[in-house]
Amino acid sequence: MTDAVEEYEAVVVGCGPGGAAAAATLARNGVETLVLERGVDAGSKNVSGGLIYAEESAPYTIDGLFPDFREEATERPVTENVIHNIAGDKVKSFDIGDLHHHDTAWADAVLRRKMDSWLAQQVHERTRETGGGLLTEVHVTGLLRERGEIVGVTTEELDPIKADLVVAADGVNSELARDAGLMDWEDPDEWFQGVKAVVDMEPGVINDRFDVAPDDGAAHLFSGDLFDGVRGGGFLYTNEDSLSIGTVFHLDSIAEEHAEPHELLDSLLTHPLMAQWLGGEYDEREYSAKLVPDSKKAAHPSPHKDRLVLVGDAAGQMQAQGPIIKGMNHAVTAGALAAEAFADARARNDPSQAGELYEKKLHDEGVMDKLRPTGYKVFGQLGELSPVDDLSNAVADSAVGRFGVRAAAGLLERAYSSPRMVSMIPDTKLPYVTLPTVIAEELGEPVTDENTVSPPDLADRIGDLTYDVGDPHIELVDNSFEASGTAVTACPVSAQDFGGGCYRDETVKTNGSEEHLVSLDTQPCVECGTCAIVADTEWEHPAGGKGVEFKQG
Amino acid sequence: MPDIDPTEHEIAELGPKIKDVDDADELRAMLALEEDGEDRVPVKTLIEDRIEKVEDEGDGEMDPETVDLADLTVADVANMVREVDDGDVLRDLLEREKAGQDRKTAKSQIESRIESVEGTEETEGEETAEVEYVPPEEKYPELDHPTNDKQWVEGTVGAEYRDMWVYCETQAGELVDVSKEMLGKARELMDTYNEDYDEDERVVAVLIGSDASDHIEDVIAYGADLVVSHEDPRLERFRHQPYTEIFCDMARAGGELAAEGREDVAWKDYHEPRYTVFPATNNGRDLSALVQGELDSGLASDCSGLYIESAMISNPAKVGTAGDKKEFERVLHMKRPDFSGFEYSTILCIDKPNRDFHPQGASVIPGSFEMPDPDYERDGEVVDYEMDLDEEWFTVEVEEYDRLSGGVDLTGNDVVVAVGRGIGDDPTQGIEQALDLVDAFDEADLGLSRGVITSSYSFDSHVEQYVTEERQIGESGQEVEPDVYIAAGISGAIQHKVGCDESDTIIAVNTNPDADIRDFSDYLIEGDLFEVLPQLTEAVEAGELGAMMEASDD
Repeated sequence: MTDAVEEYEAVVVGCGPGGAAAAATLARNGVETLVLERGVDAGSKNVSGGLIYAEESAPYTIDGLFPDFREEATERPVTENVIHNIAGDKVKSFDIGDLHHHDTAWADAVLRRKMDSWLAQQVHERTRETGGGLLTEVHVTGLLRERGEIVGVTTEELDPIKADLVVAADGVNSELARDAGLMDWEDPDEWFQGVKAVVDMEPGVINDRFDVAPDDGAAHLFSGDLFDGVRGGGFLYTNEDSLSIGTVFHLDSIAEEHAEPHELLDSLLTHPLMAQWLGGEYDEREYSAKLVPDSKKAAHPSPHKDRLVLVGDAAGQMQAQGPIIKGMNHAVTAGALAAEAFADARARNDPSQAGELYEKKLHDEGVMDKLRPTGYKVFGQLGELSPVDDLSNAVADSAVGRFGVRAAAGLLERAYSSPRMVSMIPDTKLPYVTLPTVIAEELGEPVTDENTVSPPDLADRIGDLTYDVGDPHIELVDNSFEASGTAVTACPVSAQDFGGGCYRDETVKTNGSEEHLVSLDTQPCVECGTCAIVADTEWEHPAGGKGVEFKQG
Repeated sequence: MPDIDPTEHEIAELGPKIKDVDDADELRAMLALEEDGEDRVPVKTLIEDRIEKVEDEGDGEMDPETVDLADLTVADVANMVREVDDGDVLRDLLEREKAGQDRKTAKSQIESRIESVEGTEETEGEETAEVEYVPPEEKYPELDHPTNDKQWVEGTVGAEYRDMWVYCETQAGELVDVSKEMLGKARELMDTYNEDYDEDERVVAVLIGSDASDHIEDVIAYGADLVVSHEDPRLERFRHQPYTEIFCDMARAGGELAAEGREDVAWKDYHEPRYTVFPATNNGRDLSALVQGELDSGLASDCSGLYIESAMISNPAKVGTAGDKKEFERVLHMKRPDFSGFEYSTILCIDKPNRDFHPQGASVIPGSFEMPDPDYERDGEVVDYEMDLDEEWFTVEVEEYDRLSGGVDLTGNDVVVAVGRGIGDDPTQGIEQALDLVDAFDEADLGLSRGVITSSYSFDSHVEQYVTEERQIGESGQEVEPDVYIAAGISGAIQHKVGCDESDTIIAVNTNPDADIRDFSDYLIEGDLFEVLPQLTEAVEAGELGAMMEASDD
């Protein structure tokens, strides 16, 4: 009954792995910590491809912070790693166990609803002990400022909350990072877009088809010519009683090629290679999508401002190490380091130093060098200049290049397993499309299986998701097709000639003139953020508890 | 060997631990261990910082008996005296300060320390001290606005309060549900109250409006013992001043501050209500704050729970004596959610020794209490409250208003004709043709799919009025179950299905015979709606719809 502003020592926004690591570490240091999560439950807004790594070199791992994590929150560990190079029905598979095992203490497949909601319980218990707690269904909308300085957060559901530390762990579309001017949605080439299907499968069937023990699992990666030249690849991970199958592409490539992400996923699902694993029946539990920052370009080198620190996706901390994408492990490290930085700064009686200290720790602990490797700066970006790329493509595809591929099969497999080599891979067609295709054509064996899988159409995929539609959270600022038409294809829940999606292509006749427009219905929105980049929008998250609710994630 | 070996800890743990180490040598030993061990830069910085701090403090250590106060800032004095427990030393310090710089702030620091060191002894075993009451104007003569205690309106002390008053809001001629919920709760509370305290206090319903008398029977049925109502055609819409004036006039009638002519009323012989309850609606929130302010009490807004109980209070401002505890009886405990229900506060409104805080008032979130079953056999007393309303109170005029609820209700129709994005080629004509079909039936209306409402279609002005969210069928719109549902150009997404699935007969019109709507339609006419709708209209007008359906049912 007072009008005093609520005040906590620390406010953590978002309870994914980054937020959970930050909150747990803050609580361990006796910091009064309030955690705000916009989903009905932690994990209900979260999607990941599905592997969480624990790196040997990392100062923090998720099971270090949450000891029962692997027993309680993960699916199967990855004990087998293969990349498949595909050209038509020809496939050449390389074992990339070495790349996978490099610096890896363990890696488990996860489903985010299960994982994050378990984490949230732990976080709630721990933060309560220091006078805070976890609140769900609260949408943090922006930063609270006093005299231009960040002092807390504003929310859609509650009065503003002040804090000495604000941890923005609010994901890839972080509204706090954007409010602070630290991140933007400008360049499609800084992002990947992933779509995923979680496919139901009995544990025994998984053991048989993947030839793994009940407590083991497999990770398969796919690249080559099955994605219509769009730069990216596919993955398949085994969960306890389901498979996570998805595709990840450079967003600029999706935009340029006017590719339909759900169709690219279907290309993978219906490829003959998949028949051995999918069998005849196909029961898709959930379709989901998310943006993935490319840390090489998007990771903020100095992710803090005033009392605000960014961790995880919010800071662009998602490392694409060639075909292996590591995000959650870095979010965990960053979250814990940010918390540690605050505890240090507080111990020195100057909490305002936390941001600087956090940045220093990211560098000192080697996180930043993983996210923005120097090798990529030297070689990778050079490879992205289009003449160089064209030349490399031409050479790789020429008789000489093909001879080289045949002669160097062993070498290639080793190259794929070198963390240093893959960290320098440029974002061009060469590594994603041309090279795997040539490899498969020259070295591959045809797959003879017949794939009878018929994935659900987009309308059914949308219909199977759970929504609580609130007010539209995205505003289409410019509805001309020129400005925003790319969203019709690039949005994972929209498609050309599909009236049930978010973005629809419309030709409107008024007074004899015809306009090519785009209309938007946010009802089927999966909150991936694609349209924030490829269309002209005002993008916000829906209110707390509203919008899509992932049951698998 | 120091107690803490830094190499055995992560830096995050060290921060808080190291704060408790005050010995610089021990810290130096820790630093050496770290240098020989993990040699982490941040850990070293942490320890070095601490060493610096500890040594600073060491240098500054002073003996209060000999220190030269002139060298110290007031803050230094404050810090120093915190450590001194000897009253004589403190008095000596005070004398020296008086003899020296004689700083008022420094003296008050020392004096307050003396008080806290010795005060406890003085009061031990004695009666607790009375808190002296000084009116704020006297206490702060230099201030224009002595805000420590808000100046009161009434200044009543020790008056008599009785009954629980419930403001029963009406909207658009209806008694709103929360009014009934509050009456039910008030009945329950007061029945228990009367039993517990052997009293005979009542539930009083207050009705104000242009149609107040229409609801008298209802509020009695829902639990009121006494209804006080005032009706006036000018009170058709809620307005702050007249509503507040009327409520307060009623509340004061028969009491110490009753308006002229209402000093003695047959139905009330106490000063003001013991409890007041308002709905936490838009209007109820406004009125509750104004009334409780005018009656010189407090308000617990947006409550979700109410109960009456005794409360043990130790706040000296309420009890009148420091260190004393006093039990207050018949206190309304008003529970309200903070932080979306993450926490609850229970608000108590308690008299001060020199000022009453009555009525104990709350506003109640609609839906918090159960809707009681009305009992139209109940008896109740009714007071038609007579009072002249000042024209001055009506200077604010409501010129225009919209009623947001109401809207288009598609339920209850025999037939609903709904169109979807199939009208995209010519949206205006699509709506026109659908409206023609609607008109062909007796009891029918137009529905729309969400796809149409969220489209960028441009409609001619004569049909534009029909394209509103109010006509949306589906999960985020209305759910209808007419005898006949005609879905033209609607693909039949699951979100649409839930809005019409219960219809007796569903007739779909679609160019795509495999559209999802096929799965839940009884009939599917494959064709362009622009051709099919006019034919349907014709068939209905000719009374041949049934025959047409038979023909397409193959």
